[in-house]
Amino acid sequence: MIEAQELTKKYGDRTAVDAVSFTVHPGRVTGFLGPNGAGKSTTMRMLLGLDRPTAGSITVRGRSYADFPAPLRQVGALLEARALHPGRSARDHLRWMAASNGLPVRRVDEVLDVVGLTDVAGQRVGRFSLGMGQRLGIAVALLGDPPVVVLDEPVNGLDPEGIRWVRTLTRTLAAEDRTVFLSSHLMSEMALTADHLVVIGRGRVLADCSMADFIAEHAASYVRVRSPQRTEVAELLRRDGLDVGVVDDELRVQGRDAAAIGELVGRQGLLLHELSLVSSSLEDAFMTLTAASVEYAARDRTPAGATR
Amino acid sequence: MTGTLSTPVPDTVALDPNRHVPGVRDPGFAQTVRAEWIKFWSVRSTPWSIGALVVLGAGLTVLVCAVSAADLAGGTTGEAAGSFITWGMTVAQITAIVLGALVVTSEYGTGMIRATLTATPHRGRVLAAKALVLTGTLFVVGTATAVLGYLGGNWFLEREGIGLALGDDGVLRSLLGSGLYLAGIGLFAAAVGLLVRHTAAALSIVLALLLVVGNMVMLLPGAWGEWATKLMPGNAGSVVATPVSFNPNLLEPWTGFAVFCAEVAAVLAVGYLALRRRDA
Repeated sequence: MIEAQELTKKYGDRTAVDAVSFTVHPGRVTGFLGPNGAGKSTTMRMLLGLDRPTAGSITVRGRSYADFPAPLRQVGALLEARALHPGRSARDHLRWMAASNGLPVRRVDEVLDVVGLTDVAGQRVGRFSLGMGQRLGIAVALLGDPPVVVLDEPVNGLDPEGIRWVRTLTRTLAAEDRTVFLSSHLMSEMALTADHLVVIGRGRVLADCSMADFIAEHAASYVRVRSPQRTEVAELLRRDGLDVGVVDDELRVQGRDAAAIGELVGRQGLLLHELSLVSSSLEDAFMTLTAASVEYAARDRTPAGATR
Repeated sequence: MTGTLSTPVPDTVALDPNRHVPGVRDPGFAQTVRAEWIKFWSVRSTPWSIGALVVLGAGLTVLVCAVSAADLAGGTTGEAAGSFITWGMTVAQITAIVLGALVVTSEYGTGMIRATLTATPHRGRVLAAKALVLTGTLFVVGTATAVLGYLGGNWFLEREGIGLALGDDGVLRSLLGSGLYLAGIGLFAAAVGLLVRHTAAALSIVLALLLVVGNMVMLLPGAWGEWATKLMPGNAGSVVATPVSFNPNLLEPWTGFAVFCAEVAAVLAVGYLALRRRDA
């Protein structure tokens, strides 16, 4: 369990994270979603004790990260920016990390095998592709077999296969009753992976709800109706109190599901060519929700370095 | 991206089924030292620096002794043979400085520091472990290099009848002192690295302080110049590393080394505060 309480981080007079409170529960994948520069990475860095909060706190299982004697056994983390020396081999990188937390060397070979880097373990990581670097980062996160796993933008640079692999991995970790906290700026990826969402924009929590609730609340849907007798159908539906929009040659109907609309039209003997439910994409919902913070970024020219 | 490797993607995800990783449950300083030791020796800059240290330190001593032995024996130079028997170490100290700075600044340059501090959030322990690995290695390698240089250089001096025995005044002290001084100057560079977090900046500052400022303060007038010269870290600390100093106006060997240690400790303390207080 991860708990943030009134967590705040200021850099000079710029507030990167603004009194953020949320709880991440075990047994499900919690997505941490927000546009670039929203404060995701800063929050994760405070979680890992790298940055000191200006105010408030963020704890793992009730304790500050720095208070764990062997933190890699408690929290496994993939950091957004590469935290590797390019001249060191993947195996050596994992070896020193294992040694620092008193983990056996056997564990290094296990995680290399899990992420599929065994064959290139002796290569210097400077030669790794972005995707391989991400896998090594995930190996680091799994090293201590921790109950809490924190992944900052894990699918960055991965090919579709790799993305599917990360999705399977995070689902497996959650199924093992671990706490999985996953950040991304891509709503489409989150929709497929996360059970729960914490949406952040401009350093503030905009939404903290289940994925299903988020979809129901923010992703508007309508029924698309095509008919050769478009005018009559529209009139009929409007008479029934439904909200009907006309776009090109289609009608967009809200307020009744497709089956009910079909029955209504059929009883009047009118013809239908198409009748289908259209859900607006989550990407759209996310963009609408975070529009304010994105506009802010564009207008005020917040430096890109703010993401870190 | 050229030179990129590729691997087959595993289709399934298999995690450790028992989820109980054995090992030390409450790791402490020993584990941090072990981790720093692995880090230290798993990058190429370490063997390169150590190799350069040995070659320059021992090689230049032998070379200088070979070239000047006849003149020294003739008594025409006005210098003592003891001033030359660890001469190469004054150049070898540069490699110790490079190694010391890199131990810290390479972590900031690459982002490694974030991995280091997530593995061991106790920042004081990380610094102590780094310092132990660095100074321990530099002391052993520095002393061994000085002994090698002594053995080689003394062979030429003995041919001219001006050889130095290990028991002669200051000889044994200068061999151990070479190791001590290199350890100290390496740690000094590491401490500066903590403050500036940048390899080139750290190297420039330390080398300028040692090679430029350390000599320019001699130009200051009167007692000011005299004492400033005596107290500059390179001048105070290096007397212990030579049986007879070229400059007779410096502090006594162990007094100078104590002053040098205090200076290193002071910079290291400020570096530690910076490490503790700043975001990584």
